[in-house]
Amino acid sequence: MQLAGEESPVSATRCSFVAAALAVIVCGCSSGGSGQGDDGRAEPRTGGTALVAMTQEASGMNPLFNDQSGSFLSFWAQEPLFVARPDGSFDPVLAAELPSVENGGVAKDGRTVTFKLREGVTWSDGKPFTAEDVKFTFDVIQDPDSTALPPSAYDLVESVDVVDDRTARVRMSKPNPYYLGLFQQILPKHKFESTAVTTEHPQARLPLGTGPFVFEEFREGDKIVLKRNEDYWNQDERPVRLDGITLKITPDAQAAISAFQRGEFDTVFFVTSGDLPNLTKARDDGRPIEVTLQETKSHVEWLWLNQSDDGDHSRPHPVLGDPAMREAIDLGIDRKAVIDQVLEGFGKLNGSVFYSGAAATEVPAAPFDPDRANQALDEAGWVRGSDGVRSKDGVRAGLRFQTVTGDQTRELYQQLVQQNLKDIGIEVKIANVPSNLMFGTYQEDGRLARGNFDIMMSREGYVVDPLDEGWASIFTCDERASKSNPGGQSLTHWCNREYDALVKEAASSVEPERRKALYAQAAQLFARERPALALYSSTWGWAWSSRLKGVSKEYFDGIWRSAHDWYLAG
Amino acid sequence: MGSYVIRRSLQAIPLLIGISVVLFLMLQMTPGGPLASSEAGGGRATAERTERLREEFGLDDPLPVQYVNWAGGMVRGDWGTSYNTGRPVIDTIVDRLPTTLLLTGLAFVVALAIALPVGIFAATRQYSTFDYVSSGLSFVGVATPSFWFGLMLLFLFSFELGWLPSSGLEDLREQHLGLAAVWDRVSHLIMPVAVLALIATAQLTRYVRDSMLEVLHQDYVRTARGSGLPERSVVVRHAFRNAAIPMVTIAVLMIPELFLGAVITESIFAIPGMGRLFIESAELRDYPVLLGILTIAALLVVLANLVADVLYGLIDPRISYG
Repeated sequence: MQLAGEESPVSATRCSFVAAALAVIVCGCSSGGSGQGDDGRAEPRTGGTALVAMTQEASGMNPLFNDQSGSFLSFWAQEPLFVARPDGSFDPVLAAELPSVENGGVAKDGRTVTFKLREGVTWSDGKPFTAEDVKFTFDVIQDPDSTALPPSAYDLVESVDVVDDRTARVRMSKPNPYYLGLFQQILPKHKFESTAVTTEHPQARLPLGTGPFVFEEFREGDKIVLKRNEDYWNQDERPVRLDGITLKITPDAQAAISAFQRGEFDTVFFVTSGDLPNLTKARDDGRPIEVTLQETKSHVEWLWLNQSDDGDHSRPHPVLGDPAMREAIDLGIDRKAVIDQVLEGFGKLNGSVFYSGAAATEVPAAPFDPDRANQALDEAGWVRGSDGVRSKDGVRAGLRFQTVTGDQTRELYQQLVQQNLKDIGIEVKIANVPSNLMFGTYQEDGRLARGNFDIMMSREGYVVDPLDEGWASIFTCDERASKSNPGGQSLTHWCNREYDALVKEAASSVEPERRKALYAQAAQLFARERPALALYSSTWGWAWSSRLKGVSKEYFDGIWRSAHDWYLAG
Repeated sequence: MGSYVIRRSLQAIPLLIGISVVLFLMLQMTPGGPLASSEAGGGRATAERTERLREEFGLDDPLPVQYVNWAGGMVRGDWGTSYNTGRPVIDTIVDRLPTTLLLTGLAFVVALAIALPVGIFAATRQYSTFDYVSSGLSFVGVATPSFWFGLMLLFLFSFELGWLPSSGLEDLREQHLGLAAVWDRVSHLIMPVAVLALIATAQLTRYVRDSMLEVLHQDYVRTARGSGLPERSVVVRHAFRNAAIPMVTIAVLMIPELFLGAVITESIFAIPGMGRLFIESAELRDYPVLLGILTIAALLVVLANLVADVLYGLIDPRISYG
């Protein structure tokens, strides 16, 4: 679920967040005019194939069954009920309207939502799309024998009933504020024999949808071929121009970017923020490519400060358990230098744990103030030794600082942070680890899960709503992994009952203003307690060939959803 | 001869079992496991999901049980299913094998086609400029890391000059016909084959030259020359035939080496073969696929040895297999 923002090919693997962001469309982006690059007035040309380099292959293209980043492009074939805009609002796609309390779509108690479906929608094989399909999708999610990976928004769904062909009624166990994020993928009931659908099912690999394109072929390690849906239900209103889109799997992200600049590909899924300086330069040098940047914040590079003593939740971390220490680290890091010197400006300051979407709360990043940092440590009794490193009661302020190995950009700013902290008397040793060691489960001795770390760094976050991927709740006490709770997802082993209460209430509040206020309170608390420090928020961007027209970034996933309108320059 | 082949094949069985045990255990010993929710794997695996997968893949069984299950399946032709895709391993490998065989085969042919004439010519003109230059180049070739060579080729011919496509085996934007289709395929193959063949060519050239030199200084060659045979016939018929014997071993054993070289080449040029599959599976700790590929590689080594020994007998009638 981490977003990239670095340049080594290894880091390409880090967009998998997208994947996981099932519930919702992904990759932050900005509102913006549609039809960028539409310079001609002429009728858009029909025909031709867009060739997209895909730097990270998914093993299946149905996000309901696969959480690797590539699978999220499935919306070219699989349409959702609603699609999110960058500000967190939604537009109906397969739904006829947005349900609300006013139009009777949402019951007063917030526990029943009625989805009215659009008329005349057909699956790409010609069969009609009905409420039965919606219900079936939920039945698959519910079936313990299916291997579906539903987003957490489904946890609150109790049942789905078919009122008539065009109407589905969803009952929730608690008010579910995120009902519009449900049903981002719908399964065609007529393609299944039972609800026990597993990853091996052909529909889990190449799903049939109602969308503008149809999956035709998936050659593992080679290419994924989509053709135009010749019977697209909305062809008259919003015609599909391309004959098809081919995703060529090119695992070496650097080579893919270079080949893209030479015109071998029409776009790259995905460019990292580390590629953006080069791409903008290439565009300015006259290469036939377009580049656009998102304006909103996207995934954040976090420093996780371990709040347990080597996984023991009954004792605080000997060094990081001291609030003054955490405050000093926060004040002691020159984030602006990281952004300007290492990221060439392609990053944003952020201090909020809820930084994006409708519930976004602005919390300024801590200022760079080594004097105040030193003062805080002095006052807390951390005394400098002869080697300049502080200690208190015989505990030395020495910390391991770890992230995934092999990422040169990250290593650069790790060194900046190391120097920053050295200046305030904290000794930091960089000791990076392979990703599976860092993120492994509790049983696999994963460092984060076991609490076997001091400071770990990774890119994490959510996309539209703090409920996505359970973002808000992974910081709750119950998510601390331990022997008795090996599935815990906590990244910091932090526990604060006040935070827990706030996000719990927000998770079942259907009143937008109330929710926003609760998340704002939680974000303030988080920033005060500092179980994790945000280093920067990635700047996301997209690049495409000038021969590709009709590209826009109207929706939350950047340019990708606009593929519907893409065409090739005459 | 026939009984020799059978005997050698039978001897290979305990060897293969030994290799498979070592492979199996080594994979188990690598840190992290197939269910690590790595950044590559994406997503925070839930406890239930991990539990379900552990059960499905039998990861909680004791190691010997896991080994016997796996090895038994291999013998029966059931190579297990990929942790990653859920597809049968054998299907995945069958999909990828032809591409790698094509690359390896072409590289082998290219290596032979260059190494034989160059090596022979260099040997017959020892200490000539040609000899020095070819020796120098083959040392450079052996010493060049193939990933670096591949990247340099890419940089020069794809990114700077734009003459050759950088990835894949075919143009995905449009279909070509006739000669254009041939060029489409050839242009995609030039760089990968060059990278794969580089080290093999360099090594083979050295071996050809050295074994030719050894033979050329022997008495029977001098006799042949003395009896007035044309130089061409001396070199090709008398010297080369004898020099070829040790070369056969080297050349045949080079096949598994080329096969493994495909790991790097296929990754650089985004070619969907076994090498790429190996890297992807290693990253994802997809043990069933890894074991399948490694078993094929082990088989290939054992088989290549056997073939080399048999070829000996065919080329050199003096060797008999009792």
